[in-house]
Amino acid sequence: MSAFLARNRLIVLAYAGMVVLLLVTALFSPGFLSVSNMRSTVVLAAFVGIVALGQTFVIIGAGIDLSVPWVLNSAAIIMALLCGGQDLPLVWVMPLLLAGGAFIGLVNGVGVAQFGVPPIIMTLATNVILQGLILVLTGGSPTPSAPALIQFLSVGRVGGFPVIALIWLALTLVATVLLSKAAFGRHLYALGTSATVAEFSGVPTARTTILTYVTSGITAAFAGMLLTGYSGQAYLGMGDAYLFTSIAAVAIGGASILGGSGHYLGTVAGAMVLTILTGLLPALNLSSGALLIVYGAVILLTVSIGSETFAGLGSRFRGRGV
Amino acid sequence: MVVAIAEQHVDTAQGPAELRPAGTGADWRGRVLDRAPFLVACLMLALIVAIYGSLQSGVFSVDELNLDTAAAMTLMLAATGQTIVLVRGGIDLSIGGMISLGTVIAATRFTDDPSTTAIWALAILALGLAIGALNGLLISLLKLQPFLVTLATWSILNGVAMIILPTDGGSVPTWWVGFASAQLFGLTSPVWMLLALLLFWWWFRATRTGVIIQATGSNEKSAFLSGVSITWVNVITYGLSGLFAAGAALFLTTQTGAGSPTIGKDYILPSVAAAVIGGVSLFGGRGHLAGTLIGAFVLTLIGNLVFVLHVSSYWQPVASGVILLLSVLASSVAEKLARSRVQ
Repeated sequence: MSAFLARNRLIVLAYAGMVVLLLVTALFSPGFLSVSNMRSTVVLAAFVGIVALGQTFVIIGAGIDLSVPWVLNSAAIIMALLCGGQDLPLVWVMPLLLAGGAFIGLVNGVGVAQFGVPPIIMTLATNVILQGLILVLTGGSPTPSAPALIQFLSVGRVGGFPVIALIWLALTLVATVLLSKAAFGRHLYALGTSATVAEFSGVPTARTTILTYVTSGITAAFAGMLLTGYSGQAYLGMGDAYLFTSIAAVAIGGASILGGSGHYLGTVAGAMVLTILTGLLPALNLSSGALLIVYGAVILLTVSIGSETFAGLGSRFRGRGV
Repeated sequence: MVVAIAEQHVDTAQGPAELRPAGTGADWRGRVLDRAPFLVACLMLALIVAIYGSLQSGVFSVDELNLDTAAAMTLMLAATGQTIVLVRGGIDLSIGGMISLGTVIAATRFTDDPSTTAIWALAILALGLAIGALNGLLISLLKLQPFLVTLATWSILNGVAMIILPTDGGSVPTWWVGFASAQLFGLTSPVWMLLALLLFWWWFRATRTGVIIQATGSNEKSAFLSGVSITWVNVITYGLSGLFAAGAALFLTTQTGAGSPTIGKDYILPSVAAAVIGGVSLFGGRGHLAGTLIGAFVLTLIGNLVFVLHVSSYWQPVASGVILLLSVLASSVAEKLARSRVQ
């Protein structure tokens, strides 16, 4: 047990922080812990969590994905345009757009892994190019409303549970297996710790890097479609907030931005913390400016705690989890 | 002593020529490869200006220079600070928050009384310096990653800006807005500022501090071992970045005449992009402000080009993304060639 705690200290801390936040919020706004409110909190956190899944993989591999906002936004807009409010086209539109997200991820990954372009620049470039292309495509006009099926996926319920929460749970299981049990996970942590050492140890570094960006493209595109269902229609700029929140969720979840450590289970807690904070501030009568200040303070606090552990213990795979 | 160590580390960089060991200077192909990213940026700018000039009359005039420099100056100031941080091997995302905060303070505190306005303007610059220095301290003392620290301070500064002025608005005195059209010898103040920035860099990179910053960016460990205080380097680089961001905010208010709690985020990544287009390496130790300023011109003039080509203005981000990719690919290809020549 103590070995588990030592190894996953940052993840455990993220969950502890989440519980404390929940209790504090409940203190100020007694209705916060109600079933309906918890349900809507989990639904909102799920969007952050799904986008942050790919971001977690990329960051563990010592990269960063800034193309998330417009991959998300592009998938949302193109889905709304292609479906025109109908359910049936989703059968081919969804796979098509997930493949589209994967393709953008592939471009990012190849640029980073094969051409040595710094991740910040590569993903920044694909982000602005996508942004421009979508603006040209739509001419800035609003798009048709979301199909009913996608609305069911993001706001519907099965046996009292929000469908999107179940989707998130399933994705969490898949990500955990990939990181903790699969060869991909071992390769990824090795790559993030030291690309050179990993390369010489026979880790397929290029393939692993590309796979992280492909995952990020897919999760961002998927989140974009779900978010369209949630808000009823796709609109320009809907992905902008997810750049900051996806990176913040990963950081709060205990991953090092230098790569080689962290786990998606931590990111899940990070996504919850960010969403609970969003709910806490109206209860305290604070403005959105105050929310940004609190976000910044929480990030600083978490990375400081993380940094202390880095100084204290020397293990490479600390915080690797499960 | 520090300078002696620094010499060993800037020899492969696009560093001050006088610090290069003798011998490599004679190899012109090596020198060209060294400066390839900068040359590619110059080529791009020349190409853009040529297309722009052939489609629009009056491009090759002092008026056009004045106009374009004014349009690019906010980005140039922000990118100057970013260049110093990038050369040190860091990154500063908080300039977005600082620019927003600077504009809202100016728009809510400036009055028609010049002395009040001057005091507040100085206060904004001092605030930028102090917040930047704080970034540097946090990074050093808590051993944190610049990306996350400045992401956090960006959020905090942006929050403070939103509390001071929740939506775009406020105003600055009329004479303040007139600053950018003030002329001397036919050139407006932004053009003189551009020259001042180049002079500043020419002086700064040869100073002890400038050399130390570049040496730390090339190899932090060697710099530390040769007696450089990394904490001091971080405080000074991020402090300067904050100062230039505050300067960018002040200049921006002369263009917009108002404050905006969200405008700063439009300068964070473009400031990095301008530097990268101009040949500044994200890995530290390598780069020149002249490149960054050309990069800022490239990014600004794409807007003019899209306008005269009569295509949707939405093509502007597409074009800047493609140019960014081409520049960075050019530098990595040049680097590979240079490396294979060495081997």
